Amino acid sequence: MSAGATARIRRPITAARRDAAIGTVGVVIALVVWELAARALEGGFALAAPTAVVASIVDNAGLLGRALAATGTTALLGFVIGNGAAVALGALAAAWPRSERTITGLALIVVCLPLVATAPLLRVLLGQGDGPSIALAALSVYYTTLIPLLVGLRAVPSTWLDLVQVAGRGPLTALVTVRARASLPYLAAGLQIAAPAAFLGAMVGEFTGAERGLGVLTIRAARDLDVDLTWALATIAAVISMAAYGLIGIIARRLAGGEPPTILAAPRLGSGRGRLRATLVGAGSAVIAAIVLWWGGIVAFDITPFVARTPIDVIGIVTGTRDGGETRDALLGALAETAVFVVPGYLAGLLAGLALAILVVLVPGTTGAVMPIAIALRSVPIVTTVPLIVLLLGRGPVGAIAITAVMVFFPTLVACLHGLRRAPGQVLDVMKVYATPAWRVLLQARIPAMLPAFFAAARMGVPAAVLAVTAAEWLATGTGIGALMALSASLSDYDVLAGAVVIVTVISAVGYALVGAIETRVLARYAPEQSG
Amino acid sequence: MEADRGVGVGVAVEVAVATKVYAGGTDALQATSLTLEAGRTTALVGPSGCGKSTLLRMIAGLEAPTAGRVTLDGEAPEVLQRRGELAVAFQDPSLLPWRSVAQNIELALDLARLPRNDDRVAELIALVGLDGFATATPAELSGGMRQRAAIARALVTAPRLLLLDEPFGAVDELTRHELARELPALWEGGGTTTLLVTHSVAEAVRLADRVIVLSPRPGRVIADIPITLTRPRGAESAEAAALERTVRDALEAGRAGTAAGQNAG
Repeated sequence: MSAGATARIRRPITAARRDAAIGTVGVVIALVVWELAARALEGGFALAAPTAVVASIVDNAGLLGRALAATGTTALLGFVIGNGAAVALGALAAAWPRSERTITGLALIVVCLPLVATAPLLRVLLGQGDGPSIALAALSVYYTTLIPLLVGLRAVPSTWLDLVQVAGRGPLTALVTVRARASLPYLAAGLQIAAPAAFLGAMVGEFTGAERGLGVLTIRAARDLDVDLTWALATIAAVISMAAYGLIGIIARRLAGGEPPTILAAPRLGSGRGRLRATLVGAGSAVIAAIVLWWGGIVAFDITPFVARTPIDVIGIVTGTRDGGETRDALLGALAETAVFVVPGYLAGLLAGLALAILVVLVPGTTGAVMPIAIALRSVPIVTTVPLIVLLLGRGPVGAIAITAVMVFFPTLVACLHGLRRAPGQVLDVMKVYATPAWRVLLQARIPAMLPAFFAAARMGVPAAVLAVTAAEWLATGTGIGALMALSASLSDYDVLAGAVVIVTVISAVGYALVGAIETRVLARYAPEQSG
Repeated sequence: MEADRGVGVGVAVEVAVATKVYAGGTDALQATSLTLEAGRTTALVGPSGCGKSTLLRMIAGLEAPTAGRVTLDGEAPEVLQRRGELAVAFQDPSLLPWRSVAQNIELALDLARLPRNDDRVAELIALVGLDGFATATPAELSGGMRQRAAIARALVTAPRLLLLDEPFGAVDELTRHELARELPALWEGGGTTTLLVTHSVAEAVRLADRVIVLSPRPGRVIADIPITLTRPRGAESAEAAALERTVRDALEAGRAGTAAGQNAG
């Protein structure tokens, strides 16, 4: 064929270009719909139009700029500290594998801590200033970075490790020469999620009595019913989070030479009965480590008994021996109120994420466009959406359930889209050769292949739902355990606060473990290669 | 073994001046024309990356040619897809991990809208040497055993056009010989048109009625060698060795021609 003939052949439009075009059109349509809806609801104190948001940002540019600088600085410091800790502990786990279960168990406890209670506690312990915000930002990123990093440190072909071993070198050499490089894309994936998480932590820290920052402005705008400024703040937080997410992605692609992987699950260790035993040992050692850190912290920092509650104190509170069960009953009553919001919200978020993912996959061409938007929206800090949902849906049960559902929805959507695309390409080819209709491909190949990703999202959704519902109760409904924690913090009732922290953390961790147990059974059937 | 729907006539395949350019500009296949006679077995050989699998995927209707056309009995591949008359086996077994061996094979009958046929499934399981593993899941099988299950899945519908993309790659040598002895009877008995993509010249000569040799990328047909050996072709023969030499010479010539072209360029 001549060069001219070759040139006449139509070069296919790349999927990336097509998706980008679809995505751009989608964003424009969303903005137009948003503008029209806001104009239709004008006067309802619910929805600010994009033009009003832009005007508010321009009008308050100086104020917003200073607040953004303050929150950005604390978030950045927390990001560095939390990720530094995650990298150090990840390296320790790789160099000394016996420590891994304890480290991941501790990470789970940290991610299950209710920010609504830890934020005021940190304010009391660390005083005024940026300390609590930085600490919360660090705590918020620790888990999101550690888990992908551990996956990456293990994502090394066994033959590479054999080479190190044959050369007579140990785990430390393997860590430095092989595992560290192999884990880079995974570390990058963790850092991407960590960026908005740090922002979230910093803003929650600011809610509890900081003097400046986006969190302070958010509380003020919501209290003043300044709808335009509330939406402007949420927009800024979302844009900054998405920009940080994108920027880290670009740096990661340069450094690691590829797209950061989508991490859906914590690394799985061992197999069968051995894994159960090791899990129990790991959970026990993590609980012991947490108690040592807790008690050791009280002693080391000489925390006043007015604030500090030791594990023995909390056992007294929970069993009722300390005050005749008054605090325990108050906590259980509040938990019952919370359950009414968190269970439907959690399930609604899971089902909505699953349903939209299926819908998107059934409409060819939209997956590539929806995926980046979903990933971007997943990176929006939840606390910025609470005032918006309160404005839109009010302070009642519907708003609280919606906030919980939104928190669970985006990670589920991303995981399910990823899972639905996980069906091996050649299985789909085999089905195409039989002209199998899309719905049958979905039922027989895509959905079963997606189940592991769905359950990974469901597992991670447990602490996320608890965070969301407690934030909603704190900032919106004024009921349930979230409101009780906020109230007891303002009344300096540290019995209630300590009891709430422990009970909420345990419930989150147990919920996580229960969904994890279902996930293990699902993996054994639908993804045996992942079940160890 | 009789086909359940009584299909006994293979499909005539025509590839007319087909070109394939992938997104990003990779020229996989260049103005390739060939015909596959109904009921005959054709082997496609060529160096890695020459477009063999692309050609097979275009015939299967899994890829559209950038230019040119592919017809099966004068119709688009999608028409045969809808009738359940095509089957394909890839180098990757592509079994569903949550289904047993028997269920994976039955899946093809189900997808082709054919009635359940336990006897045929059991017969094929035995034929590919998986007796006793009907209820095993793919995770419980070796790579070669999974591949044999995938081959059984491709055969269970007695397709009119069977497309095999290096299906014996992961199979051990002994099983490979056994399958090469047993399988042709299956597809030839049903009059199936078979296209076998392979790297093995010996396998091509042993299984096919005709060997088509593609040049290095972008692939084009550089030799079309009829295999005149009588069947069954169990034992090695001087004639087979001579044919293998002919195919290898064509491959060498293709490589040399490409190198000369590059040097001249």
